[in-house]
Amino acid sequence: MSTPAASPRPESVAARAVNASKVYGEGEAEVRALDHISVDFASHQFTAIMGPSGSGKSTLLHCLAGLDRVTEGQVFIGDVDISASSEKQLTLIRRDRIGFVFQSFNLIPTLNAAENITLPMALAGRKPDQAWMDSIVATLRIGDRLTHRPSELSGGQQQRVAVARALVSRPDLIFADEPTGNLDSRASAEILNFMRAAVDDLGQTIVMVTHDPSAASYADRVVFLADGTIVDEMLEPSADGVLDRLKQFGG
Amino acid sequence: MFRLTLRGLVAHKLRFLLTGVAVVLGVAFVSGTLVFTDTVKKTFDQLFASVYDGTDAYVRSASVVKGQFGPNQRGRIPETLLPQVRAVSGTAAAEGQIQIRRAQYLDRKGKGIGDPGQGAPTLGFNWNTVRRLNPFALVSYGGKPSRPPKAIREVVMDLGTAKAEHFGIGDTVTVSFDNAKVPKDAFKIVGVAKFGDADRPAGATVALFTLAEAQRVNATPGELDGISVAAKPGVSQTELVGQVTSSLGRRGIQVITGAKLVKEQQNQIQQNLGFFTTFLLIFAIISLFVGSFIIVNTFSIVIAQRTRELALLRALGASGRQVRSSVLGEAVLVGVLASMVGVALGLALAIGLRTVMGAFGFEVPTSDLVVKPSTFVISIVLGVVVTFASALLPARRAARIAPMAALRDSAVESRRLGRRTAIGAIIAVLGAVLLFVGLFGASNIQLVGVGVFGLFIGVAVLGPVIARPVGRALGAPLPRWRGMPGQLARENAVRNPRRTASTAAALMIGVALVGLITIFASSLKASISGQIDQAFRGDLVVVGDAGPGSSFSPAMAERIAKVPGVAVANPLRFGAFEVNGTGQFLLASRPGELNRVFDLAPKLGDLTTLQPNQIAVSKKVFDDKHWKLGQKLRTKFPEQGAAPVTIGAVFGRGQREGLSDYFISLDGFDTRFTQHADSQVYIALDRGASIKEVRPKVEAVAKDFPGAKVNDISGLKAQFETQINQILGLVFALLFLAIFIALLGIMNTLLLSIVERTREIGLLRAVGMTRRQVRTSVRWESIIVAVFGALLGLVLGIFFGWAMVTALHDEGFTQLSIPAGQLVLVVVFAALAGVLAAAYPARRASRFDVLDAISTD
Ligand SMILES: Nc1ncnc2c1ncn2[C@@H]1O[C@H](COP(=O)(O)OP(=O)(O)OP(=O)(O)O)[C@@H](O)[C@H]1O
Ligand SMILES: [Mg+2]
Repeated sequence: MSTPAASPRPESVAARAVNASKVYGEGEAEVRALDHISVDFASHQFTAIMGPSGSGKSTLLHCLAGLDRVTEGQVFIGDVDISASSEKQLTLIRRDRIGFVFQSFNLIPTLNAAENITLPMALAGRKPDQAWMDSIVATLRIGDRLTHRPSELSGGQQQRVAVARALVSRPDLIFADEPTGNLDSRASAEILNFMRAAVDDLGQTIVMVTHDPSAASYADRVVFLADGTIVDEMLEPSADGVLDRLKQFGG
Repeated sequence: MFRLTLRGLVAHKLRFLLTGVAVVLGVAFVSGTLVFTDTVKKTFDQLFASVYDGTDAYVRSASVVKGQFGPNQRGRIPETLLPQVRAVSGTAAAEGQIQIRRAQYLDRKGKGIGDPGQGAPTLGFNWNTVRRLNPFALVSYGGKPSRPPKAIREVVMDLGTAKAEHFGIGDTVTVSFDNAKVPKDAFKIVGVAKFGDADRPAGATVALFTLAEAQRVNATPGELDGISVAAKPGVSQTELVGQVTSSLGRRGIQVITGAKLVKEQQNQIQQNLGFFTTFLLIFAIISLFVGSFIIVNTFSIVIAQRTRELALLRALGASGRQVRSSVLGEAVLVGVLASMVGVALGLALAIGLRTVMGAFGFEVPTSDLVVKPSTFVISIVLGVVVTFASALLPARRAARIAPMAALRDSAVESRRLGRRTAIGAIIAVLGAVLLFVGLFGASNIQLVGVGVFGLFIGVAVLGPVIARPVGRALGAPLPRWRGMPGQLARENAVRNPRRTASTAAALMIGVALVGLITIFASSLKASISGQIDQAFRGDLVVVGDAGPGSSFSPAMAERIAKVPGVAVANPLRFGAFEVNGTGQFLLASRPGELNRVFDLAPKLGDLTTLQPNQIAVSKKVFDDKHWKLGQKLRTKFPEQGAAPVTIGAVFGRGQREGLSDYFISLDGFDTRFTQHADSQVYIALDRGASIKEVRPKVEAVAKDFPGAKVNDISGLKAQFETQINQILGLVFALLFLAIFIALLGIMNTLLLSIVERTREIGLLRAVGMTRRQVRTSVRWESIIVAVFGALLGLVLGIFFGWAMVTALHDEGFTQLSIPAGQLVLVVVFAALAGVLAAAYPARRASRFDVLDAISTD
């Protein structure tokens, strides 16, 4: 079992948790979802988080993304300690520095695809970079769907729109919680290929939770979680290697 | 299924609180009104029963004239009947009765006490020496004993006035009357009296004199209003009436039993109260009507949200009927609970109403509140029926949910707008037709009411059809103004057109009525102002605080006529008489001086030389009845009985122009009415005299006559406007309830909607929407709904106003005035109200847990 060492160059760390714990409930009903976790996520890297159900993957992601607060320890986005930030600051960090892709319900039903993509920028009152937007839309092959409402899109299209939204404001960091969980293998592959390309070609940083070893194989690094602690990690993972490792932890 | 119903209630306390509040307020208003009027009625019933307790028979004139507006006018009887009545074998005692029209005490500064204009009458009677015929009882006061009045210039004062104005036994007090002979006089207070248990009757001031003195100050010597008779033991009321009748003969005299007299008085009060009760109940019904929209809406939304659950129940074997019963069961429970709370609140309201009436000078003697079982039954049945009926439609919809809906992702609002448009249009057109028939054809106010309700429902049904385009249009500038939150607000406002429409419809009703009343009042003001401009030629006018019912001693006009600079001081008197058996309103003034102060627009004959035995009629009536100049009219006056008069002239400005259709000379009036009091005095100045100089001198004279007020033309108009504004204020206060309930409706809908959108709001927060932006978005959504409702209401209100004013053209509404500024203000207020209604839901929405979006399913 190896614990990842803190990176020697802090500026290349996009997000980091330091001795972070998350406890739900009190007394008898206490659940320790994260148990003194310390972990770094390097910039320009595609990291996958894996582990058995209930191991704390989503919790870690939420705490890193400023959607939730740790009970103990610290969380940094770049060099900002978000565990000490106000609610308002957190919101602005999410809006301006972070992109999200969730498993489902990613889009606002009353807005069309284009409006959903530019939503965070519209909330900030900023104009999207049109050329950038066009290139994302073209790569994700949703150009002919831009004026459609979410209810008129397929599941895969909806996820691609969500990915486009996560990318369009060039965030420091993109978090994805089982983004391909609801998709078939072909649609999954499209999304994952695109995410891979975003890291390789555009220098994006992506942290993705997944249950799927083949999805994890797209990542540069896999972090294994169990019972709220990091139990292992793997660089340049292959699907088979990940599967073997998971079996070890009873995932 | 019932367990499910109960659990639904408990699980959504807030939702049902808000639904319930609409019912609670409506029911409270209904029960409060009923309790209050029952209490007042019982109080007065007991009062009259005790006042006439000792009266077994009452003798009065058979000559009675129906009033067109006020109560009937009855003639007097000669005092010489009194010994005759006393001589009747069954008579134990008999006493003449006189009520003085105005007997107003002046305080030590010479100002009139009591305000007849505000409903605190200034009464004067003769003191009954026979104990059992006298409702007043002397009490010692300030350590001094009271005694009855025995001589000229002696008065007994009611205890209430003595206390309030610090008069004591032995003091001298000035009393003002409305006749020429005794405009006012000083009296020695020889006693103080209570009225039954009360210090005074219902806020009135009372002055009690000897019979002879009462006749003197009333300028009706030798005459009586009636004779109260007490029977000897063993003689029944009917026997006594029989004996008195046979002794007096039937010519012009009427004898009734004491019981009948009591009944008459009680009925009179009940009639007056009836108007008031109806008035309040109308507002209660409006509130319930508005509330029913909220109930429909709440149940519809809740059922839409529970579609999956209900469909699952269906899939598991529940019948459509069971689903419907479950929903209706919920409605009945809410209805019963809310109605019970409403009745309790109604009791508090009744107490409040009594206090309000007291503040207006109409003291209702304190007694226990009368809560009849029927009040309970009516209130609760009404509350439950309204809730139940409102839930019927949503329940039907719930029962129709297919088991398959459990598998579908979310309920899609069915959009059979074509059928809806047709149904809505039919109801609206039917409503409009009824309204028009009621206004222009049958002149039936009930029909008008049904028509208005029909139009409301029709427009509410049509609402969803137009909600989307109108909502979009209203919200068009929002994306630019408020960015993404604005755009979301607009989209959310129109995403459920049915929901938006019925929420807005609740507000529409209140706003439509406000609009109607605003236009009505504004048109009334404009019409009155126009009529004054046209008909009034004088420079000054003296009016009383009791409006047309004011009465002043003719001495006032005589003294004003002598003021230097005054050319003409022409008094105006009003009287009730009958023409061909129907009550009419009569105007009397000096014909010779008429032209200086009025322009009645003469048509035929010569108004200025109208003889005492002649009458002038308006062109409209003259033409309608096909009368001829010189024709004799079958008329009847209170004092004279049937006495024909000849048509001597025809004039253009009658009742339609705010005046009267009948005009008679002052001399003609004096021979037909014994009460020779002036209601108003119209003044024209000498050529060259300035109003500024003469007015203070006229005012100096008027100061001697309590309640008199000197006005110029603009002051006269302002006075009318003030009166109209007062009524307007009262109506608006009552309509506020309906608007308040509509706001609760908006709040309720918003709360339900944001809960429905928990995930969406969470997602927005996750991708960076600030709390403030969430609040902005909810707020603007509310504003769009509110303004949509206000605009619907305004359109209807303007339509109602136009229809009503047009229909009343012949009643004096000569001008239609639509005050654009005020109506725009109504919409602005509606928008502000929307902000208010959104405050709590917006706060709730902004505090949703971000994680709910991604964690909950
Ligand atoms: N709001 C909450 N209240 C109480 N306990 C919670 C809450 N959210 C999560 N937990 C608990 O924290 C632990 C970690 O949950 P988390 O959602 O992070 O797991 P996960 O690894 O994402 O699982 P899955 O693979 O099933 O999504 C679980 O035991 C869960 O029951
Ligand atoms: Mg998870």
